[in-house]
Amino acid sequence: MGYVLQAEGLTKAFRGVRAVDGVDLRIAAGERVGLLGPNGAGKTTTLLMLLGAITPDTGTVEVLGHALPRERSEAMQGVGFAAGYLPLPERLRVREVLSMFAELYGIDDPEPQVQAGLERFGVTHLRDAMGSELSSGQRTVIGIVKATLHRPRLLVLDEPTASLDPDVAQRVRNGIARMCRDDGITLLITSHNMVEVERVCDRVVFLSAGRVVADGRTDEVAARFGIDTLEDVFLQLAGARELDLPPEPEETSRP
Amino acid sequence: MNLSWRRIRAVVIRHYHVLWRSPHRWFDVLVWPIVDTLLFGSLGVFVARQTGAGRAGVSYLLAGILLFHVIYQSQISVSVGFMEETWSRNLLNLMVTPLREVEYVAGVALFGLAKLVLGIGVVALAAWGFYSFAVSDVGWGLIPIAAELLLVGWVISLFVIGLVLRFGQSAEVLAWGLMFMAMPLSGVFYPPSALPAFLRPISYALPSTHAFTAAHRLLDGRAMPWHEITLAAIGCVIFALLALAFLLRMLRVFRQRGFVTRFA
Repeated sequence: MGYVLQAEGLTKAFRGVRAVDGVDLRIAAGERVGLLGPNGAGKTTTLLMLLGAITPDTGTVEVLGHALPRERSEAMQGVGFAAGYLPLPERLRVREVLSMFAELYGIDDPEPQVQAGLERFGVTHLRDAMGSELSSGQRTVIGIVKATLHRPRLLVLDEPTASLDPDVAQRVRNGIARMCRDDGITLLITSHNMVEVERVCDRVVFLSAGRVVADGRTDEVAARFGIDTLEDVFLQLAGARELDLPPEPEETSRP
Repeated sequence: MNLSWRRIRAVVIRHYHVLWRSPHRWFDVLVWPIVDTLLFGSLGVFVARQTGAGRAGVSYLLAGILLFHVIYQSQISVSVGFMEETWSRNLLNLMVTPLREVEYVAGVALFGLAKLVLGIGVVALAAWGFYSFAVSDVGWGLIPIAAELLLVGWVISLFVIGLVLRFGQSAEVLAWGLMFMAMPLSGVFYPPSALPAFLRPISYALPSTHAFTAAHRLLDGRAMPWHEITLAAIGCVIFALLALAFLLRMLRVFRQRGFVTRFA
């Protein structure tokens, strides 16, 4: 089976505490995978290792057949990433931000792709707005447009709808689902919204304390825990990890 | 390694937009060059009148500040260009694209060249307009000297970027601090022999010192000082290799310790 993403034995410790502890993850082409877990479970650290932004202490990552970190640039040609917490570059209009990223992804003629991307998510009216003028929800949507401009083979989304109102979140979910279906895009998404995960994903991977504690089809995973919904699985895992959070990467240190 | 001109161009265009929409950034390109020219030009005129030393002192000061702006503009363009990404928390956005580190640095350095031409042009025009000092009178010998100082500016900026990657935004002050430490040690306006004796070995170890010494020789009307230019070139290569090694090490630490989350 051709895997879009293969990670084996990923570990990462910050100040001696393991944030990610032996994660293995294989995602086949066309799969839509939800990476779930309570705060501090290691989801974002795992994503950033899968994207080459953080180097794992041990383990290997291969994206689209390219080994990280050596072939990061080649791998990222086929990857799109957006996160609810990421701002847009300042002092640029939305169309300028999108054109810049289109160029970074090697798109020959960025303009039609930018327009198509804005239309796909119903935000053409934001085309000439300054990035700094957008609401957090609008910024998130533009971030997703940015991540999908080049029709990536693997789309990685970290909490994409966390700051969106239900109406916009629904539109974004539909847009993502439609794009994945129509273009055969593989999706890896983190979210705390279990309803969203059940709608968008066909497979979920639960992390707890940096370890994979469940991996399978959405209905299978809930059944494995002997409960009905992913929401209950999430609550059960979160309860078990209450106030036992690993530290974030070092925040400050002075020269 | 396949470098992409398109990605480099995207970085250049991004920083063009930032400069165009940030009036305060024009201070570096238009205002400080004029302020510095006025300051050092007037100081030179005053000292010349007091001591009866003639115009030689004025030329030293004006040529010195013009050449110092080569370091200043090239260094600030790259350092502040990178810091722009940290201020707007755009680093992670860039790190998950195909953009290579070397392409990013090439992009900001290339855009910095445009700012450098503007900044130096302003100094040269101000020196000519206010003090009748024509940089062209010094001759073509200034070109290799300016090229070496351009490299010195880029080398300092690589150190600054490495420090910001390692220590976060608290290290940003070094973008200006390192350069102004280099200014007196490099003998921008005077020969290194004017420095306190214990600082002279440090001064002679800097490529910028030899570049400025070469400029002073040209101002004195002597032949092209190839010896000093060669020493400066060798120093530039050594410091450039050290800066690259330092930056690569800091990038590795940055990724290992997950420091990208500081800027996201």
